[in-house]
Amino acid sequence: MGKKSKKAASSSVIAASPKTSFWKTLCKQRTLLLMLLPGLLLLIIFKYVPMYGILISFKNYKSSKGVWGSAWLDPLFKNFITFFKNVNCWNIIWNTVKVGVMTMLFTFPAPIIFALLLNEVRGKYMKKSIQTISYIPHFISIVVICSMLNGFGSTTGLFNDIREFFGMARVDMNNGSTYFMLEYVGSAVWQTIGWGSIVYLSALTNIDTSLYDVANIDGANRWQKVKNIAWPAIVPTTTVMLIMNVGQILNADFTKILLMQNDTNRSQLDVIATFVYQKGIVEGKFSYSTAVNLFSSIVCCILVFGTNMIIRKTNPENSLW
Amino acid sequence: MDKTKKRKNKIYIGNKAFDVVLIIFMLLMCVIFLYPFLNVLSVSFSSNSMITTGQVTFFPREFNLESYKVLFDAENILRAYGNTIVIAAATTILNLVLNSLVAYVLMVPEFCLKKPLSIIILITMFFTGGTVPTYLLIQNLGLLNSWWALILPNAVSAYNIFLYKAFFKGISPEIREAAKIDGAGELTILTRIYAPLSKALYATFGLFSVVGVWNNYYEALLYIKDADKQPIQMILRKIVFSFTTTSMGDAQAMIGHGKLNQLSVQYACIIAAILPILCIYPFVQKYFAQGMQVGAVKG
Repeated sequence: MGKKSKKAASSSVIAASPKTSFWKTLCKQRTLLLMLLPGLLLLIIFKYVPMYGILISFKNYKSSKGVWGSAWLDPLFKNFITFFKNVNCWNIIWNTVKVGVMTMLFTFPAPIIFALLLNEVRGKYMKKSIQTISYIPHFISIVVICSMLNGFGSTTGLFNDIREFFGMARVDMNNGSTYFMLEYVGSAVWQTIGWGSIVYLSALTNIDTSLYDVANIDGANRWQKVKNIAWPAIVPTTTVMLIMNVGQILNADFTKILLMQNDTNRSQLDVIATFVYQKGIVEGKFSYSTAVNLFSSIVCCILVFGTNMIIRKTNPENSLW
Repeated sequence: MDKTKKRKNKIYIGNKAFDVVLIIFMLLMCVIFLYPFLNVLSVSFSSNSMITTGQVTFFPREFNLESYKVLFDAENILRAYGNTIVIAAATTILNLVLNSLVAYVLMVPEFCLKKPLSIIILITMFFTGGTVPTYLLIQNLGLLNSWWALILPNAVSAYNIFLYKAFFKGISPEIREAAKIDGAGELTILTRIYAPLSKALYATFGLFSVVGVWNNYYEALLYIKDADKQPIQMILRKIVFSFTTTSMGDAQAMIGHGKLNQLSVQYACIIAAILPILCIYPFVQKYFAQGMQVGAVKG
């Protein structure tokens, strides 16, 4: 074993230029190759084969014929055309955008503000405890969150206890879609505010403390220190997170919406992802559903590239690539 | 001179006031983070009359275990726990072993396929096939209604691979060279040197994987049809979102007679679903935060 790897190491130095010895090197490094193989195979099977399966959005998929054997559609973009001719199509797209934008509007700045405030808390022990508590909601599953929302929104639930405390009447908040956005976004903020602040807090702890000493000598107040020291320190992290968030804008957490839907509000709450699930998995229209999914992925890509381009133009250092 | 002193004094008082307000705000936040759990817990132990009149807040009123009795009679919670534990264990072991193997090989500087394979793995971070093509793949592989459909797709993750790789790169390459001269093979180097040095990372990813599996319901919804094979989250989904249609005959009658509260049975099930996570949380939370920081710095 030892001899082999020693040889592998020495041969790779020699094999730097001639192409013919590539296979020889590979043969010598077969231990490495074997170590990598199981993981790589799983990745190819479960990630690349579904990517290839996207082809069915242009085909009339028959499970007996497989992805390649199924006939191409005529016209090729038939599924996309059907989707855009659907009366509900714009309603679904609008719902998706609305949920995505509202979620981002609140879940993106909330952790930043929380991190900046937490950074101002004196006492290491205090800070650590608050942090630890704030992470808990992150580890709660989406089913539990939705079950809690469902329970709290019922007439005898917590939300209605609070409403009554403030002199409002008890209402069934699970009925209809009036309270959907409030519950959806509110619970999203509750879940992400603590956990999302970690990246910002770690950027804040890397600040050179001498900056604060200098600011103290100059007589800067708390707000000035936050504005001129803490905030600039987290701007790069913020931009990266912004680009990543924009990419997720159409990927509303549809597993959550799926759980929050009921017979009274289903039509108002449909988003692209629930539509894909409904058409594809429930109704078995595989090709059509895949096409709609592909459409939303492409829009996501455009959004990410677009945001990155805008940031690169305004401040090249902060862009993701 | 006097002016600057006054200004400093003003800042001092302002600071103190701000500190107080901040602490109050933070305590309020902690209440918001924790109170929902407390409310669920106390309602699950309270009597129907107390719940319907809205008198349950911080502590159970008219303490009883009726909801839990009904829940454990109607649903095989213990089997669901068992199912989830088996799935979580299998996923986590595969996850730790396979990801670190791939990461180690990609870290070896002289490996000849390093570049192309890295790119192949990186691509999977940004592009996916989507719901339906993945479902069709699982169907074609004959994995529908099998736990492998939940385990195998989650066994390898590009994100984890790159974090392992970044961590392994931080270990001095001289150690590896020295081990090779002493005659150690690649696998021995990984298991005897690299893995023990990266214990914290393994712990973090192991915990993430366990929590991820514990909380996953969507894949079970797609792929698992047998009631016997369902993980805990699916049981909760059933109890809460299709309560009226479940075959909880006795419970329905009891609710009808006002002896039992529907909400408290649902809450009892929520407690059953989160209790394991909340119990291990205090012991493992420092690893979670550490792992997230590794991700933030190197990812």
